[in-house]
Amino acid sequence: MSYPVTGKPIARPAASAALRYGLAFASVAAALGLARMFLHFHLPQTFIALALSAIAITFWYGGSRAGLLAALLASIVRIYFFEPELNVMSRGLYYLVFLIFALLMSWATRARDELEVRVAERTAELTRANEELRLEIAERKQAEYLIRQVFDTSPDGIAILGRNYRFQRVNPAYELDWEISAKRIVGMHVSDLLGLEMFEKVKSNLERCFAGEHLSYADWFTNPRGRRRYRVVTHSPLQPVAGPVDAVLLIARDFTEHVLASEALRQTQSDLAHVNRVSTMGELTASLAHEVNQPIAAAITDANTCLRWLTRDPPDIDEARAAASRAAKDANRAAEIVSRVRLLFKKGTPQRELVDVNELIREMIVLLRSETTRYSVSVLSDLGTDLPQVMGDRVQLQQVLMNLIINSIDAMKGVDAKRELTIKSKRTENEELMLSLSDTGVGLPPQQADQIFNAFFTTKSHGTGMGLRISRSIVESHGGRLWATDNLPRGASFHLTLSTKAEAHE
Amino acid sequence: MATQSKTKLVAIVDDDDLMRGALQGLLKAVGLPARAFASAEEFLTSGQYRETACLIADIRMPGMSGLELQAKLNAEHCRIPTIFITAHGDAKMRMQALRAGAVEFMAKPFDDEVLLESVRAALES
Repeated sequence: MSYPVTGKPIARPAASAALRYGLAFASVAAALGLARMFLHFHLPQTFIALALSAIAITFWYGGSRAGLLAALLASIVRIYFFEPELNVMSRGLYYLVFLIFALLMSWATRARDELEVRVAERTAELTRANEELRLEIAERKQAEYLIRQVFDTSPDGIAILGRNYRFQRVNPAYELDWEISAKRIVGMHVSDLLGLEMFEKVKSNLERCFAGEHLSYADWFTNPRGRRRYRVVTHSPLQPVAGPVDAVLLIARDFTEHVLASEALRQTQSDLAHVNRVSTMGELTASLAHEVNQPIAAAITDANTCLRWLTRDPPDIDEARAAASRAAKDANRAAEIVSRVRLLFKKGTPQRELVDVNELIREMIVLLRSETTRYSVSVLSDLGTDLPQVMGDRVQLQQVLMNLIINSIDAMKGVDAKRELTIKSKRTENEELMLSLSDTGVGLPPQQADQIFNAFFTTKSHGTGMGLRISRSIVESHGGRLWATDNLPRGASFHLTLSTKAEAHE
Repeated sequence: MATQSKTKLVAIVDDDDLMRGALQGLLKAVGLPARAFASAEEFLTSGQYRETACLIADIRMPGMSGLELQAKLNAEHCRIPTIFITAHGDAKMRMQALRAGAVEFMAKPFDDEVLLESVRAALES
């Protein structure tokens, strides 16, 4: 059995029912026509083969129902036009052949339909995957562009360092920092770029980063041309897949200007504080001279007394010794005061040391004793016991106390009533010390309580308006606060806190 | 008039411990009995001012000053020959002290011979 096959590729337009059933009639009619033509030319009878072809074509193009219709039509045509005389047996056999053929074709059509559906699904899937892939590539390109842009235009030096401590990649800022081309840096060992000394310093940081730690540090770096820069360097471990750190991402930010500016600022503040100390001490000259003069006068008297005991006949050695030791004690007192004063006059960079605040208060009370006596100010102190020491600059803290005490004295000078300065120290919660100085003076200017801390704010005819401003910045540089409140019933109170734990911030 | 005391006690009033010690030592070396007080108030409350033949006092002290002490004693008709020793004496203060009956007004550091002469003079007056 053979059937003609059209060579065209299978296209399956959604044909209408009329077309599909029409195909059944047309194909069976064509089979009938061809078979009759064969008979006419006395050729062998071929209707069965042609009918099967017609059924096959109809199934293929018209679907199962049209195909079954074609099978039915072919059976009818065969009975009426060919061998109608056949017996029931052979007629049934023909029916069976058409039926089996129709079923086979029906199965084949369905299989083909399923295949087509599957092909369509796969095609859609592939199209989708293709689209996703295309988007991903575009996104990656975008991300890569961004990364490259960041890498190339970042003002921070960026470098990637392999486990062998050799540079894998550096950005233009990094080239500029070191004044060496990226081409030369890549492949270079860190120690060759930084120098051995610097390498020894940063080696442990790199090791920690290779062990998986993210860290940063700051230091001065000198490039091969001798240019010194202060950099804050960050090390981040690069670990694209789980496992050991593959490389270190190194980002170096130049903080030179910042550091220089803050150093200059600190220097200026220190200079200003010094000027304030010197000018304050200048105002205190008379009192300070008296403080020194007093023990010197006593020393002279004691020395003369000693001579008297020695020039007696017979000399009284025991009394002379007692007088001489008093003289020595007097001279020591004078020397002590001079050295304290000299310390305050000294110009120097701020030092950080552990300071006993109560001792500082006592020293200042002694140093300013003449000044308080001069203006008939009685000083009461209520100093807390077991106060922790604070980390700070002794001279600057003394300066704050001096400024505050002198302010209080100034505030009480013109008051014709009890003049009392009370100095308290105590420990507060949150690991702080609190100092309070309360006076019975004229009090704070109303509505301007906080303005007194502004630069050049003064209520005194001889004031520079810098004392409180400087005091506040000193206290703040020690991690504390300085503020003022009214003292009841009269006067003002100044309070300051000092941190006993945290290292003071610059 | 000052009452002549048998003991001829010299009183020293100075807030500075070193100065008190030095003055007491000096008087002891010349055989004069002396008592020292850290403040004018302490001297007044001691009740010994009636027996005092000579007073050596500082002017500037916390609390009552030397001049105030002098005024107070004068008010109680207790005129003790007084020698002032001060580190910051000015002419005005000096005049005030002398007018109120002070016998001497000395600046620190002072000449011990001059002081002792004044003390002896006060005791013999």
